[in-house]
Amino acid sequence: MLAPLLAFVQWCSTWAPIVFLRDSRYGMPVVQSVHLVGITLFLAAILVLDLRLAGIGLKDESLHRLERQLKPWAIAAVVLVVVSGVLIFLGTPSKYLQSNPFRIKMAGLGLAILFHFGVFRRFVTADSGSHPRRGHLVVAGLSVTLWFLVGWAGRAIAFVP
Amino acid sequence: MFATSLLGWCQWLEHTPLAFAIAESTWLFPLIEGSHILALPLSVGMIAIFDLRLLGLAFRGGPAAKTMNEILRWSTPGFAVMFITGGLLFMTHAGQAYENAFFRAKLVFLLALGINAAVYQTIFYPKMAEWDAARATPVGAKLCAGLSLLVWIAVIICGRTMAYQL
Repeated sequence: MLAPLLAFVQWCSTWAPIVFLRDSRYGMPVVQSVHLVGITLFLAAILVLDLRLAGIGLKDESLHRLERQLKPWAIAAVVLVVVSGVLIFLGTPSKYLQSNPFRIKMAGLGLAILFHFGVFRRFVTADSGSHPRRGHLVVAGLSVTLWFLVGWAGRAIAFVP
Repeated sequence: MFATSLLGWCQWLEHTPLAFAIAESTWLFPLIEGSHILALPLSVGMIAIFDLRLLGLAFRGGPAAKTMNEILRWSTPGFAVMFITGGLLFMTHAGQAYENAFFRAKLVFLLALGINAAVYQTIFYPKMAEWDAARATPVGAKLCAGLSLLVWIAVIICGRTMAYQL
């Protein structure tokens, strides 16, 4: 199951458009920039929802409206992050497959996604009104911690083997 | 004359004990660089949400001036982290950064963004509650927002690209 997948990834990394991105002077910087622009917008939306969920800020707005208004942009941002992330990975797959921070990033990403759909979204859609309880604060704190852990692990790829 | 003294100043900066300490520390530089990048959502991200609202691309169907101004206020600590960490990162590579075209472009773009924000604050902000409630965003305010979004993206591209060259 894993071997054919690895073979496919290796094949992709020799595919002409990927080779062009990797070897051209501004290919990877541009793709990395797209990754960052997407992260900026996605994490900003998460931060806004977490601030409101924790009862720290934006109390004039319902959590429901914040979520509904930010959702299309968060989805667009995720598309940018995932597409650019896959392109970065395919540029030098062996580098990432051997990187400890990358493994932590992917594990953290899995956790963050599970938490997002399993816990966070339930709290957001339940929107108990203007009196956040301790549970809301904990969920908001975990949400922001998990997503930023993914970001920090991503940054560590450049510094830690 | 001015250019040589500026370059000289950059080289002096790079050789200060603080710059050396950051550049040579195994964890200080990554920590500062990571903070610089991960402050993006709290600084530029908040501005982007504000700009999208002004352009009518988010938070339609109701007044949002209060919420938007609060979102803008949250960007202040984000920008504080940005400028402090950015200054420290500059110190460690000041000489090379001075010569780098992308770093120069980034500074010009940041200056343009500062002017753009000042224009918005003086001309459009004082009556924001009124035009926001009437759902009649002035064309000039939309122009400021569009410019802000595009130039912030350019700043991110310049910042990321210069990191490849230093």
